[in-house]
Amino acid sequence: MSSLSGPDVLSADERAAIEALVFPLADDEFVLAERYTEWQVRAPTLESDLALANVAQDELGHARLWYDVVADLGYDEPELLFERDPDAFYHASLCALPFETGDWADAVVRSYLYDTAEGLRLDSLAGSAYAPIANRIERITTEEEYHREHAATWIKRLCVDSEGRQTVQNAVDRLYPYALALFEPGEPTQTDVIESLGLRTESLPSLRGQWIQTTSTFFDSIDVSVPVVELPQGLPEDPGRHDPHVAAWLSLYDDFTRTYRELDRAHTPTITSEHNDG
Amino acid sequence: MIWEVFRQDEPGGYHTHCGNVHAPDREMALLFAEIQHARRKPTNSLWVVPQKEIASQTDETDRFGGTTDKTYRWVSAYNVDVEFAKEIEDSDREQRSVAGDSA
Repeated sequence: MSSLSGPDVLSADERAAIEALVFPLADDEFVLAERYTEWQVRAPTLESDLALANVAQDELGHARLWYDVVADLGYDEPELLFERDPDAFYHASLCALPFETGDWADAVVRSYLYDTAEGLRLDSLAGSAYAPIANRIERITTEEEYHREHAATWIKRLCVDSEGRQTVQNAVDRLYPYALALFEPGEPTQTDVIESLGLRTESLPSLRGQWIQTTSTFFDSIDVSVPVVELPQGLPEDPGRHDPHVAAWLSLYDDFTRTYRELDRAHTPTITSEHNDG
Repeated sequence: MIWEVFRQDEPGGYHTHCGNVHAPDREMALLFAEIQHARRKPTNSLWVVPQKEIASQTDETDRFGGTTDKTYRWVSAYNVDVEFAKEIEDSDREQRSVAGDSA
């Protein structure tokens, strides 16, 4: 295990496996945070606005933690984000899917589905053989727990009347197949290497099984039904990861790269001095 | 429904009023209070209190004190200027020396 202590001691195969594991983690967090920010000044109350902005800020922080892992393998910030081909992003489409206009249930159900998956995924990385992955987990986990509590609390409140429960049901029906794609690998050919190196200590199908069980139990308890999805044919046509992204992803990509392009930036200043010498 | 929020920095300290949040119930109030007042500051404990449960009065309806002139009780009634201390010292020395001369 000590052979995977840091970026300087890796073989080419090990690097490829680490990248295949970390890019989906980083891209999920980053793209979802970009989507969440659309709720700024539009959430139902000032408090919920601040709460979702906080969640988005946390996710951006987590994205940075993960991008730093691949940056240490030789990528710079433009390559990772602002000049990367939109087709080369590995997020699941759940993160890029546009919100139904004004549908707060969409925001909190999506957060619940994502953060529950994220919690399981982080647990499977806490014992990672690659030290820079394992040592990030604790910090991220405490914040994800808060996100999950926030989302679950909201969903329960929405379900106190039948009209509210219906909005939750609609969001679950729409988002559940997309959420299942969170457990698709970024690069399917790397899955065996990731597991044999011990980079992740549990398989994706096993994590998906636990996620279905946890989310089903929760939604059952509030009389919301969870769709039964046959895998893999029940996944959406555009699940993301290595498969096609949702069409709206391109406009989201244009949005977050616009300032970079308009200012004709030759390089991206960062807030950490170690990356600021370009 | 409005909940007043009180935050304590560390064990043993006072819970200090730091603002309020709109929330339908206790659990949501704590959740929102945590976001706005605790997550990014060192916090040991948070209280939320329904605003209508707080009894209050103001000096518009009640006299809290200061109705008669008691400024002499204020520390500012004593002049602690160092120049005065010097003057007193000089005066004292002068009186001692006069007393010494007459002895």
